[in-house]
Amino acid sequence: MVIDLIVAFCLVVGLIFFAGGTLGLLRFPDFYSRLHPAGKLDTMGSFLVLLGLAIHQLFPLTLGTVLTGLKLMLIVVFVFLASPTATHAIVDAGFRAGLEPWRKGDPRR
Amino acid sequence: MKTLGLIIVGLVGAGLVYATIDFPPFGDPKSPASLHVSPRYLEKTVEETAVPNAVTSVLGDYRGFDTMFETTVIFCAGVACFLLLRIPRRRSSGPRQYRHRLTGLTFRIKEGGEIFLPLREFEPVDSIWTPHDFIIEKVCRYLIPFIQLFGLYVIAHGHHSPGGGFQGGVILGASIILLSVSHNLRTALNRMGEKISALFSPVGVFIFAGTGALCLVLGYRFLDYQALAALLPGGPIMARSHGILLVEVGVGMAVMGTMVWIFKNLASRGRYDEGL
Amino acid sequence: MIWQLDLLILTLVVLCGIGAIMIRDLLGAAILFGAYSFMMCLLWAIMGAVDVAFTEASVGAGVSTVFFIAAVYHTTRRTKD
Repeated sequence: MVIDLIVAFCLVVGLIFFAGGTLGLLRFPDFYSRLHPAGKLDTMGSFLVLLGLAIHQLFPLTLGTVLTGLKLMLIVVFVFLASPTATHAIVDAGFRAGLEPWRKGDPRR
Repeated sequence: MKTLGLIIVGLVGAGLVYATIDFPPFGDPKSPASLHVSPRYLEKTVEETAVPNAVTSVLGDYRGFDTMFETTVIFCAGVACFLLLRIPRRRSSGPRQYRHRLTGLTFRIKEGGEIFLPLREFEPVDSIWTPHDFIIEKVCRYLIPFIQLFGLYVIAHGHHSPGGGFQGGVILGASIILLSVSHNLRTALNRMGEKISALFSPVGVFIFAGTGALCLVLGYRFLDYQALAALLPGGPIMARSHGILLVEVGVGMAVMGTMVWIFKNLASRGRYDEGL
Repeated sequence: MIWQLDLLILTLVVLCGIGAIMIRDLLGAAILFGAYSFMMCLLWAIMGAVDVAFTEASVGAGVSTVFFIAAVYHTTRRTKD
């Protein structure tokens, strides 16, 4: 019962993070600020969702479920490594291509 | 002309949608497809081949010819890309750039000339040079071994979980492509040269066909892995399981080699000097 | 199988397919094609064909997108029509 509540909390908060990331992707004014939610909130959201799933399937506590939970956490580790790096690479490419950052008062791009 | 195309596409699409109405519903146990062949495979797979994943046993054993020629098709795709795109390199001609590692000075040799000083401080660079990005290089350098390990796991564990030669080969090839994208094409070529990647695909097809031919030599039918019981321990049922593993390794090698080969040809316009 | 989810993903598949044809920027078309492959992968995973979904995710969404981008990088980004 308590575990179900924890799982539901993790999933719902993760989905809120995902929704925030998508909203930011749609609403922010330019390339760099759009990548900001895409890089951070999606990483955090996937962390919370995967944590919720790992706890959920841990219920009959055996070696197999613990191993599956560890595999899910391993996915989190790789997402935490790869997603910010990908964002960094995209921002770097945009900066090198000469894209001007948005300043207050500029129109949306 | 475009309107005519749209009308034709619309008519064909409507016909296809109309045809799908007559399909049996999803998962219908009385549909013809799940009455004759499927139950036989699903029930007998573990008994006959000791492979819990029915998809792998169907792909590797019951329908081995299909998979063999699929691998051949992938090999043909690699050869076609090679023949279309590859331009033989003309040595020591045309402009090339060298960069001094310590000072960052870049030299450009316009044309001709002998080969440059063979000092370790100089590295050949692309014409559109981008500085080495520390974060991307380090992260990719730490990720690539894990990706390759996962690819090997997918190939080896295809008997028990989703996966197999195709997926594992693609993942292994993608790790080399990631190396090429994150560093440059020259680094990837140093790790896995043109000859190796071009050799991997026919060797993979050869392993697949050679397993079948070995069964033929041992007195059974082509790709009938029971014959391998004479060479491998564990009796005829385990021999079929081991035969599937051998074949998957062949498929993985062929797919990996072909993916890397096609990527190198595409990314460097067939010149193998610089690219993505 | 939840039919609402199925319908949503099928709609997205159709939208991605139409978008990949209609868009004038070939790089965008390559990315949309990757999204299309990913939606097909989800659809197959929902239907229970995990092996096919795995192949689609690795080949369709992963490597073929890289091939398209490599081809676009050396040719042109604009279509003629």
